[in-house]
This record gives sequence, C-alpha cells and structure tokens, in this order.
Amino acid sequence: MGVTVLQPYPLPEGKSGAHIIDHLAKRLLSLGATHAGQFLVDCETFISTPQHGTPARAVHVLHNSEYPASTFSIIDNGNGKQVALVADSIFDLLMLKMTSTFTSKKQTKIESRGARFEYGDFVIKLGSVTMMEHFKGILIEIEYRPCVTLSYCWEMIREMLQGFLGINVAKEYPTYFTTQTIMNAMGQQQLHAKQNDIYEPMDTVKQYLEHFTNYRKHVQIHGAMGGGASSVGTVGGGGPGGVLLPSSVGMGGRS
Amino acid sequence: MAISSARESLSHALTNRFLPNLEYLLQGSILDSAVEHLMHRLKGLCDNVDTSPEPFHDLEVCMSLRQSQSNQPLLLRVRRALGRDAPFQMRYLGQPEVDIRRPTLVRSCMDCACTNGILDFLSEMGFRLEFEYIAKGYMFRKGRMKITVSKLIKIVPGKQQDMANEPISQSYIVELSVVAPTGQENVGEEMRVFAEQLKPLVQLEKIDYKRLGNLP
Repeated sequence: MGVTVLQPYPLPEGKSGAHIIDHLAKRLLSLGATHAGQFLVDCETFISTPQHGTPARAVHVLHNSEYPASTFSIIDNGNGKQVALVADSIFDLLMLKMTSTFTSKKQTKIESRGARFEYGDFVIKLGSVTMMEHFKGILIEIEYRPCVTLSYCWEMIREMLQGFLGINVAKEYPTYFTTQTIMNAMGQQQLHAKQNDIYEPMDTVKQYLEHFTNYRKHVQIHGAMGGGASSVGTVGGGGPGGVLLPSSVGMGGRS
Repeated sequence: MAISSARESLSHALTNRFLPNLEYLLQGSILDSAVEHLMHRLKGLCDNVDTSPEPFHDLEVCMSLRQSQSNQPLLLRVRRALGRDAPFQMRYLGQPEVDIRRPTLVRSCMDCACTNGILDFLSEMGFRLEFEYIAKGYMFRKGRMKITVSKLIKIVPGKQQDMANEPISQSYIVELSVVAPTGQENVGEEMRVFAEQLKPLVQLEKIDYKRLGNLP
C-alpha cells in the first residue's frame, strides 16, 4: 500500500467519456505500462428518517475492489461530525437490518469502474463514473506504492500525472490533504494538514466520497451518456479500427 | 471480464450457503470450586493446538437501536480484547429458536470485525448503550466446535479497566457453539455427542431466554 491521489479528468467539449478513456489507456500502454485487471469503487448512501430534534444522518457505504474483504463506511451526523469505519464485508448485511431507520437512496448509487494499469511503482486506474447507468465523468486514481506519506512523493506523482495526462496539475497538495478537520482534545474542530500523515486505505475511500458527492450535486449530464462503462472492457485489447484522436495529441512518442 | 461488486459476492455467498450465519449453541455453568476438573477434562478432549487453552479477557458492550416499525430494538454486541491489540468484533444475534426436535439452540448470527471507531460510529447512528460486562476465561476448540469457560464480571460504570470489578456469581459459564452456514443440520448432533462427554461435570443445555425473562 502506498499513497493514492484521485484526479478528475476534465471532459473536452464534444468528446465522449469512452473516447477519452480509450485514448488515455493507449497513452499508458505506449509509455510501457501493463494492463493489470479491472477495478471498481462503489458507494451507496443510507439516510435516517429525521426524528424530532435530530437532523438526518447519512451513512455512506463504500467498497473498493483493491480491498475486497472490507466495507468502508462513513457516517455524517448532520452536525458536521464524521466517523469512519472499516469492517468486514458482512457489514452490508447488518446495514440491511436497519432499513426501517436507515433507508437506501437507490437513485444516488454511484460507482467508478474501469481498467487498472501498473507502471513500475505506480498503479493507475482509469475510472468512468456512473450514477444509475448515467455517465458522470472520469476519475483517475494514481498510487505510488513504495511510500506512505504524501509530502515525500507528491512531486513524483504530479510529474507522472502531467506526463501521461498531458494536463497541468497544480503544484499544491490536492485539496483533500489540506482541508481536513480533526477534533482536538477540547472537542473543537480544527484544520489539520494530512500530507505528513501515514496514508491509509480509508483516505482513498474518503477521496472517492468527496468526488462522488460533487458528481451527485452536479446535475449536468454530459453528451456521453452511458458510453463510459461499456468501453472499459475493451481497453488494452483496443484493436485496429478503434477511434483515434488526431495525431497532434501525441501518442507517447509516435508522431 | 467484468469485476463483480461486493454486494454481488455477498449474495453469492448467501445463496450458495458458504456464509456462516447460524449459531448452534449449548450453555451451562459450573461452580468455581469444580472448574479445575472441567479444564482438565477439556484439555484432554479438545484439539491439542499450540495455544490451547487460549486465554481471553474481553469487554462486551451491547448497543441498541430503536426501530420505528417494530417493538424489538436492534441489538448489536461489540467485543474488545482488553490488554491485547486486536480488531473490535461486532456481532448481531437473531431471536433464538428452541425447537424440541433439534439438539441445540439455533439463532442467526453475524460476526463482523471492525476498526476501533465502531462504538463512536454506532452512537452517531443513534444506538444507545444497553449493558456491558467483562468476560474472562479460556477458549478450547474441537474441530469446528468452540468451547469457552468464562467468568462474567460486572462493571462499575466508568471503570472498565479496573481490576476491582466484581464477578457476577460464584460460577463459570460454559458455552459450546458452532457458527455454520444454513443447512448443516448435523452440527447439532456433533455438539450433543460432545456435550455428553462433559457430563456430569457440566450439564450443557438449550437455554430458553424467554422463560428466564421473569427472573429478577
């Protein structure tokens, strides 16, 4: 396990999600990365029926195929306090015991799935995000495995991202690492910079939750509806005749 | 090949019956003065693993959640090992079935290891403390059967770690249990045969909690 950074990839006008994923996969392969299976991160949110006086609480239940035996949950008590929990995957069945208090908001079930690549010490995942089968966007996960502290390897991760994505990535640490609040000994919330902390699998999950929450708020539907998920299976095979971008984009050295 | 979701693998485990979700249970008790004899008998009968008998010292906290559509609150038990670093164990237990045709009590059961935020997590969900106690004793195993001989200790509120907490009674509780997937009826018979071998030191029985409800 190392440090993971989640980076949304902006969709250019008029391009479909499938198209972009295909293009990024080809860039990775021509860099020398190898295709190493598929991945899936999903999120389901349960909301409590508000009782007199208490605000509605939300329990987010997430799974990450990188940790197949675990269920990650984060409860938001409605007053700004969050508690995170990692449990065996049977936790899902326990949630179902509470359906009269916590009801699943099925229409907001959201997931990111796609191909997984390995490139030296990096693991790169090209995820297309779908909610109720509707394509929402592209999330790129990049993990640098030999290190567990972001501040020591952020520059390297950033360089790698810029290299294969061809976009500019800000020099500052990603916002997830700089905007965390923790409860201090006096019970007050205070800002805590996470870039020097030891990275945990829960941090990956929390980053996904942040982005998923943004996508859920974002009602705009892109032109590429439903195109994302289906294309992923063919990545790596990517036979001739597939849609190619204009050569000006530069396919890892080929002109 | 598409990757299957966690929910899919879980329902696959349920439908194919390899998710252990039923607990078969027999219980009994033995006086402090006779517990040494039982320990010797168990050492002789049980599997001779390196750590046998394995000592344990756990704090069990039972949390309840009121459900709007039923009179019965949902109970979850969280166990934490005292004096050793181990994941917290959360356990759901269903209504016990005491069927005369079956040799043991049967109840649905779900065990789930968790990180240490679980009690805080449950409190935020709206769970409230129902009761807590400390169980201290030894665990033996024989095949897939688990045998525990433990002392139940009452907790003075706020003093979970305190050695001054007093035992509930002058005896040890003895439990014989197996957690198995649905449809393995022969487990009960296996347990009955084993329980026979502990007689007359301890009489392991199906205890019907509903009938104990009127006791003080």
